[in-house]
Amino acid sequence: MQRSSWLGLAFLSPALVVVLLFFLIPVVLTGFFAFTNMSTATGVKGGAYVLNTSGLRALADAGLPKSTLEQIEGAGYRVDAKGLEALAADFGQPVADEFASLHDGEVFSKRRDVERALKDLRSNPIRKTRDRKIAADLFKRSLLNERFDTLPGFEAALEEAGIPDADRPLITQVAYTGWVWTTENFGFLMSLDSTWQYAKNTIIYVVFTLSFNVLFGLFLAIATFYLPSGQAATFRAIWFLPRILPPVLYIVMWRWFTWDTGFISTVLSGFGVSPRNWMLDTELHAWTTIVLINGFVGASMGMIVFSSAIRAIPSSMLYASEVDGASRLQQIWHIILPQLRWPILFITSYQTMSLLTSFEYIYLATDGGPGGATEVWALAAFHTALNNYGGNLQYGLGATYALLLVIIGLAASLAYLRLFNFRNLIQKPRIEG
Amino acid sequence: MRISIENFTKTFGDTTVIKDMSLEIRSGEMLALLGPSGCGKSTTLFAICGIHRMNGGRLLFGDKDVTRVSSQKRNVGVVFQNYALYPHMNVFDNIAFPLKVRKETRAEIDRKVQEIANLVHIGELLHRKPAQLSGGQQQRVALARALVREPDILLLDEPLANLDAKLRLEMRSEIRRIQQQTGITAVLVTHDQVEAMSMCDRIAIMDNGKIVQLSSPKEMYEDPTSDFVAGFLGNPPIAFLEGKAAGGGFRLANSEITLPVPSGITIPDHGAAMRFGIRPEFFQPNNGLKLNGKISFVETQGREELYDVMLENGAVLRSIQSQGAGHKLGDEVSWGIAEDRILAFGPDGRRL
Ligand SMILES: Nc1ncnc2c1ncn2[C@@H]1O[C@H](COP(=O)(O)OP(=O)(O)OP(=O)(O)O)[C@@H](O)[C@H]1O
Ligand SMILES: [Mg+2]
Repeated sequence: MQRSSWLGLAFLSPALVVVLLFFLIPVVLTGFFAFTNMSTATGVKGGAYVLNTSGLRALADAGLPKSTLEQIEGAGYRVDAKGLEALAADFGQPVADEFASLHDGEVFSKRRDVERALKDLRSNPIRKTRDRKIAADLFKRSLLNERFDTLPGFEAALEEAGIPDADRPLITQVAYTGWVWTTENFGFLMSLDSTWQYAKNTIIYVVFTLSFNVLFGLFLAIATFYLPSGQAATFRAIWFLPRILPPVLYIVMWRWFTWDTGFISTVLSGFGVSPRNWMLDTELHAWTTIVLINGFVGASMGMIVFSSAIRAIPSSMLYASEVDGASRLQQIWHIILPQLRWPILFITSYQTMSLLTSFEYIYLATDGGPGGATEVWALAAFHTALNNYGGNLQYGLGATYALLLVIIGLAASLAYLRLFNFRNLIQKPRIEG
Repeated sequence: MRISIENFTKTFGDTTVIKDMSLEIRSGEMLALLGPSGCGKSTTLFAICGIHRMNGGRLLFGDKDVTRVSSQKRNVGVVFQNYALYPHMNVFDNIAFPLKVRKETRAEIDRKVQEIANLVHIGELLHRKPAQLSGGQQQRVALARALVREPDILLLDEPLANLDAKLRLEMRSEIRRIQQQTGITAVLVTHDQVEAMSMCDRIAIMDNGKIVQLSSPKEMYEDPTSDFVAGFLGNPPIAFLEGKAAGGGFRLANSEITLPVPSGITIPDHGAAMRFGIRPEFFQPNNGLKLNGKISFVETQGREELYDVMLENGAVLRSIQSQGAGHKLGDEVSWGIAEDRILAFGPDGRRL
């Protein structure tokens, strides 16, 4: 590399650091979360090892032998400090001391054996059968609901309970409460019907909104180009309003517009149409509203970019086409539109990317309703990972949705570049004007 | 096709650029609109092809009033100063564009484009984009595009301004050849007087939105109606001597010298200001009407040499002579004016 290139890199380095911190790291983290099963239940830090009844059920479903399950549930009777303490508290210290001196550290597999041992105490036998039962239960040890903070501790307990080696990995996996690496998220998502519904919704959303954005933006730019400059400026300012309005305010206005006591209902009630929520009453209305809400915002951006691109076309070229006999429409079709190829590509790909990932207007307007009809992929990712009705936020699954979105976005932008033949575009004409 | 411009007025906002201009261009002739920058040449051209609306006056093609006809319907071919080729189309499509918008058949378009491309010698370049052409080639493409649909009128706005000296010389005769071959009525806008004189049948000299003289190049050179016209034509340019009428003669300013006024020139009243215009080729060592001076500047122009001679009163005359006379800077000389070639102008600049 030349010295000047190093110098350039040095100048760029602050920007590179910022890009790394605020852009790349979130992307990398998303990719990382997508391969975990993180959720509210697992937490984002490591977990412990606990077997509870639902875990036991899962193990049974997984085909663990019944004997093993029983071993887990009743892992025997152990004479240890904990049991002795309880015994001392209920039946007096002397009983505990004597029992300890005879059997400390012993493990009985059946309660009857414990009871007999208690009955056989020479100086302080427990005489009543019921008491012996209660006392024996104090030494009952089970893997169920026992919490182990470390893997070695859990494994030792399994060993002690005499669980067969072959069953241990599965039990360990089920017992672990923290998150683990997994590649199952992808398969799981693909197996969900709702995922394909989100995909379909996203395609509807992007295709219609994008068409509206680009075509309407083009229309506005071309129309204002042929207007006298004063009128054109007013027109552009009006179409720019949605963009500079705060999104929440903008949506509130739309909601007011479509409410059952809002503008449309009020006006139409004059014609005998019963009031209703025009935004949410049918899927078609919901989609229409969503496309218009996003479309007007996007169109203003297209309009600005296309307008300046049209004005950058040398006027002599437009004059030339006029004296060559081209009508307005022919002029637009043959002269203006071909020279807008690059801005159109830019707006189309840029808007595709931002529409794929944007859900804030949908979130504020319909929140995916009615009945999930407008739940797009990005909104689903948000709901899954960060805003779930059930309360169990599935970070890993949500990140998987997001990661798939990133991959689709990359593929789409590559396709666009191919489609518009990027290399030809960057070749600049040599003549000025 | 004859073009008649009658009482043409053009304003941009508050500024009147052209006021009450009338001009008639004969059918089949090539007319030069010649004038300094900003005098309104392009404006006039744009009014003829309909790009600019006229604020007043009438425009006739032949006997047809086209004042209100849109530029699309006037059938005028225009070559713009920067060529205005369409950068996204190749040469073929550029030339074919006027035919395509008229929805001519593919075969018809092919034939006409090929024919016109051969006429302007760019037959092998049809598949190239404008960006891949030299300035001269682009110029020919623009010319071909203007000519391909056989327009009634051809307008050229400084078509040679972007070319180098050699190419310009070539294209001058090329354009003239094509114009004569097609017999089209053409208007050439230029501020280069050599271009105007060498290419055109007649020249209209414009100044400040007005046409100050309209005549053939030779007539305009030899018989200018004002000092502006005399000063505009000729290279190296004419030199002027300031002075006033004194008796029957011309008294040079700040000097005792009085020159006789040639016959045929009306002498103004005694004491009125006057100017003599003397072209460099008519101030020579062996002419009759001698003036003394000192050579203040020498410039070699290939076959010829140009001298500036400063007279005793500080006025400067120019002389152009063939190589080898051997005059040097600072030499005292006594050269003469060709008396019958003196151009005399009154105080308002009008020819006397
Ligand atoms: N669109 C316009 N708006 C305002 N003034 C204009 C406009 N077009 C031309 N003018 C003015 O009209 C006058 C004549 O312009 P024009 O282009 O006809 O000059 P020109 O003779 O072609 O000069 P050049 O040799 O430099 O091309 C100039 O003073 C120019 O400033
Ligand atoms: Mg001009």
